[in-house]
Amino acid sequence: MLLGTSAAAALGGVLAGFGTSQAVAGQAPAAAPAPQGPQYLPFHGKYQSGILDAPQAHAVFVGWNLNWREGGKKDQLRSLLKMITDDAQRLTAGRGVLADTEAEMAAGPSDLTVTVGVGQNLLEVMGGAKVGTLPGFAGDKLQQRYGQSDLLIQFCGQDPTVLAHAVRAVSKNLRGLAQKLFTQRGFMHQRGSSDTFRNLFGQLDGVNNPKAEARELAVFGTPDEPSWIANGTTLALRRFEMDLEGWDEVATAGRDFSLGRRQSDGSPLTGSGPADPVDLDAVNEVGLPVIGANSHVALAMPRSAQEVIHRRGYNFIDGEVSGLLFASYQRDPAASFIPLQQRLAEADLLNTWLTPTGSALYAILPGIEPGMYLGQQLLG
Amino acid sequence: MNTKNTLKTTAALLGLGLLLTGCAQDGANANGAAASESPATQASALQASETWAKAAQDGMTAAFGVLHNSGTADVELTKVEDKAGNVIQIHETTGNGADAKMSQLDGGLKIEAGKDAILEPGGTHLMYMDLKAPLVASETGQLTLVFSDGSSTEVPFEVRNFTGAKESYENHEGMDHKNMDHESMNHDG
Repeated sequence: MLLGTSAAAALGGVLAGFGTSQAVAGQAPAAAPAPQGPQYLPFHGKYQSGILDAPQAHAVFVGWNLNWREGGKKDQLRSLLKMITDDAQRLTAGRGVLADTEAEMAAGPSDLTVTVGVGQNLLEVMGGAKVGTLPGFAGDKLQQRYGQSDLLIQFCGQDPTVLAHAVRAVSKNLRGLAQKLFTQRGFMHQRGSSDTFRNLFGQLDGVNNPKAEARELAVFGTPDEPSWIANGTTLALRRFEMDLEGWDEVATAGRDFSLGRRQSDGSPLTGSGPADPVDLDAVNEVGLPVIGANSHVALAMPRSAQEVIHRRGYNFIDGEVSGLLFASYQRDPAASFIPLQQRLAEADLLNTWLTPTGSALYAILPGIEPGMYLGQQLLG
Repeated sequence: MNTKNTLKTTAALLGLGLLLTGCAQDGANANGAAASESPATQASALQASETWAKAAQDGMTAAFGVLHNSGTADVELTKVEDKAGNVIQIHETTGNGADAKMSQLDGGLKIEAGKDAILEPGGTHLMYMDLKAPLVASETGQLTLVFSDGSSTEVPFEVRNFTGAKESYENHEGMDHKNMDHESMNHDG
């Protein structure tokens, strides 16, 4: 039996066969975003940016643990979140932060987004809302340096130099106040693509990610059934190292059978185009399933509407280590990401070539209006 | 002397080009009365933006920002105070690099009508001579700016980490002060 875990990583099939979103899944958008340019994405709004937006080409996920001083933690956290809010609104508007020694680098933000989340530790300080932490999964070989942090900021943008400055500017302002646990950099689509991209196995990733209203529903829920807070959500961040040397030895048929989709075009083995349904009941001429029960798409297929997640992951290459920064947004991880990941971790054929080395869960703060600071809904 | 100060701030503004244009309008720290034909006091003509102070545990540190005179008459900043009772001087820097010399302004900081005074590392700044309590990064301090007509206004200054511009307010251990001109300073507050 395969040990190891999974990766919703490669996956095309998360939503295959699922509800109305299937009808639009896989259709290429009319226009791909320009790879670079002085575009501005809003910082203020109902939700934080960098979640529902089409993924930018580059991302940096940075985790910090806070250094508490004497005195009330709530006050310290409030000050810190006010500063991060000020930094984020300046940077996304193409301006340097206060005390910035390289403000010129902020010009032309190129779709820069700065998305802020907190771990359960900080939620306790903020009043005790619950998102919890991720459980261990089969096959985990977690490294503490990629583990749960108090604070998580997802920086995304089309221009890696602007992005580098944003990370540096925020990091400088946090010196002394927090200890950086990790910096995980990722990249995704090639020019001309948008929601889908090739992961480093060569597979087309993101084919059936929920779109539009289905995405918003999966991420933020409804007014009656919101995430941990209205207009907030959760982010599961898992780091999967890929054994590319081992993967080289696998022939096309074996690769396609492990995934349940064809590497060539992302089409399921039961269809001819990426948007075609994943048919788990289909059998071949000798009566065997066309898509194996332990293929990635079969296991990743949501068992209910509650299990739908929005993946916004990135490839990474860190020295000689390659892999996927699996990042998913979902209303309720206990009802979606966690059972899905457990299923994959137990049996996914792709686990042979995947090693999970990082794992964390964050409460993503609700969006704010001008004049507010992130977390104000909780800290008052 | 005041003429010199005015020239200096104007030159600083030109030197920065348009980088800060508009900050007085949309800056998060915009403070003071909205521009009007003739503000009743000098303080009410002041619009402060981009205001920050360098985090420090003790000793000397400094505050920076853009002070805009939105009125039609010149104003003159003569004194800076805070609730902690810190001694805060208005300093100017002359020369560059290792030859930079800081000294207390002889008289106040004059800001012409409609113009900005730019307080920045390496230039004119507000200098805390000996902190009575730490300035902690991410927190917000308040300074009271007092003008030559006796009017005053409170301006928030965001405290930020800053390790650049190692002039004498840097208060680093092992810092070489030999090139600094601190004759006018009173380190005992």
